[in-house]
Amino acid sequence: MMGAKRRRRSWPDNARMLGGIVRGKRTSLRVPTEADVAGLARLSAEMRVRGALTRAYWDEPAMPATWKERLAKQSEEKTSVLWAIESDGALIGSCRIEFSIDPGQFGSDGMGITHFTIDPDRWRQGLGSDAALTLHRWIFDIVHARFAHTELAAHNTGALRIAERLGYETYARGTDAHYGDGRYVDGLQLRMELATWDERWGATEREYPVPLGDELEA
Amino acid sequence: MLGPRLEGERGVTLITPTLDHVKRNWEWMTQPEATRFWGVRALDLRPEHAEKRFKENAADRTLVSWTIALDGEQVGMTGLFDIDWITRDAESGIFIGRHDLYGRGIASEAIRLRTRFAWDELRLHRVHNWIAVRNRGSRRANEKAGYRQMGRFTRSWYRSGQWHDEWLGELLHPDGV
Repeated sequence: MMGAKRRRRSWPDNARMLGGIVRGKRTSLRVPTEADVAGLARLSAEMRVRGALTRAYWDEPAMPATWKERLAKQSEEKTSVLWAIESDGALIGSCRIEFSIDPGQFGSDGMGITHFTIDPDRWRQGLGSDAALTLHRWIFDIVHARFAHTELAAHNTGALRIAERLGYETYARGTDAHYGDGRYVDGLQLRMELATWDERWGATEREYPVPLGDELEA
Repeated sequence: MLGPRLEGERGVTLITPTLDHVKRNWEWMTQPEATRFWGVRALDLRPEHAEKRFKENAADRTLVSWTIALDGEQVGMTGLFDIDWITRDAESGIFIGRHDLYGRGIASEAIRLRTRFAWDELRLHRVHNWIAVRNRGSRRANEKAGYRQMGRFTRSWYRSGQWHDEWLGELLHPDGV
């Protein structure tokens, strides 16, 4: 119709802050719900998880009601996304990324992974690798971030192996940057570039593996 | 928290910030001369916002902030932020708003005072910071206080036609406390 304005598409805000489904081969990232609260609370209180991370899990142990409040608050966040990680229908972990929406903010157009946690009872089964690859498909293939970055404790060899395989490189090593289990440990700051993703994973890890042809635009 | 008065040399003193100091700092943060390597020159400059921010910072137990004074006159600010009381680690920062006073060693003396406070009064184990690689003055002032490079973050931000890398520095308590 001549003169009619095109309607602007409105984007559902809540799909951004509690992450939607991203499927891996053996794991899926999905929206965390109140049914996950007990599992998330258990992970936060697990000393093997705390010992592996460079800072507290998503948050500190708390009452179930507090965890529900945290989940509700997360759903309103504008600069972070939280996912539950699932395998065979069961919650096996969670992950969260942060980004900047301030214009010209230092490090903007990058994604920071604030935590990525797999249930210790499911460690060494390849689930972390699969979920990590899935998360990075979201970061690079869907969002097209310029880079991803994270920090890992130097003794967290399992996570470092996954990061290295993905394509992360260490850009800084902080001496005695973290304290736990009665000792200081160094903190490694790592970064992965979009170009690395494209080069290493672009041929096999596209969200939609079959490109749409130009003929569809005709 | 607001830092106590720390007397330094060559007329440099760290003093307890006031609301008027915050408002003056914010004016400087809108000026291109003082922000080539700092911030994006976009602020909520309403007085009520300054008061709210000042009160929040004063009540925040994870930071200590000071106003930098030269011969009794405000010239900038400095502080220790995101203090992790378990790891005893903090990020440090400094801003000299009076760009006509650059190169006079004010930042070096302010960093020396701030670092001594971090060790002797807060019993921190480590302080760290991020500085634009091209901000040679700030980098040298920090190096003079003992900061050493722990890494480099490439293409961190873009300004005036070029990418800027950042120098990541750290400093450990000299006695390993």
